[in-house]
Amino acid sequence: MRIPCVYCGERGHEEFAYLGDATVQRPDASSATAAEWHDYGYVRDNPSGSHRELWQHVSGCRAWLVVTRDTRTHAILSVEAARDVALSREKAAP
Amino acid sequence: MADAMQPLPLSALAGSITPGRKGRRSGGPGVLVEEVRPSGIATIIARQGQTEALAAKVRLDLGCDLPLKPRRVDSAGVALIWAGPGRWLALAAADHVDAPFAADLETRLSGLASVMDQGHALSLLRLSGPRVRDALAKGFPIDLHPRAFGPDDAAITLVSHITAHIWQTRADPVYEVAVARSLAASFWHWLEASAAEYGLQIEGG
Repeated sequence: MRIPCVYCGERGHEEFAYLGDATVQRPDASSATAAEWHDYGYVRDNPSGSHRELWQHVSGCRAWLVVTRDTRTHAILSVEAARDVALSREKAAP
Repeated sequence: MADAMQPLPLSALAGSITPGRKGRRSGGPGVLVEEVRPSGIATIIARQGQTEALAAKVRLDLGCDLPLKPRRVDSAGVALIWAGPGRWLALAAADHVDAPFAADLETRLSGLASVMDQGHALSLLRLSGPRVRDALAKGFPIDLHPRAFGPDDAAITLVSHITAHIWQTRADPVYEVAVARSLAASFWHWLEASAAEYGLQIEGG
């Protein structure tokens, strides 16, 4: 599997570290219930097909990336800088 | 200014990098290697939202444009090499006089960037010779062909499980590689084995 880093270009997956699901969002610490924390901590979908995941180009530029990957074929559909994703999320819901 | 200079740290390759010939003995050497000992090494990390102001300050002080992609610039005895988004490696030439280099940079870039002295953290090698690209191709999983990687291009990648920062300084070609000093001996082992069939000439010492 090769991942096109937004900063470095296409590299082998051995240069990257996998974190996991990029769709989960940390609950609001001031109001979240125990059930919401449980879901955030432990419950994950296991989609067959397109999935958004956090990867770090740890043996390269060290940037965090949001990689959209097809879990059946390992085809990489898109790669974004995680920083840009977080900033646009912040802008959408301040 | 010699008395103001800090002594260079002991080479991580002391004992390994002894001048002479390794591998194939017949004919001229295919790969030449020497250790690079900059008078200062520092990492520059832009503070949040300060990249443009940092670039302006670098242009004013060093007379060069901060590379915003994997490239190297060299001006007034200081080389700046892209090391990730918002991060650069700064190398002072051996005869650079503004010592100590990292502290001087920190003062100049105060408020715009964080500066960390890496003088004891990295080990640098300069590689050249007619077969250097063939030797590097055994470990560097990136395309070093001139149409893909040329002078002042830079990359950070994984060689024999070791993270290596590589950049090209001349079209001949001449490359420089930086690795963590704790892994320098392992990288050297890989290099000696990979360049053996071309004949490795170790220069300096």
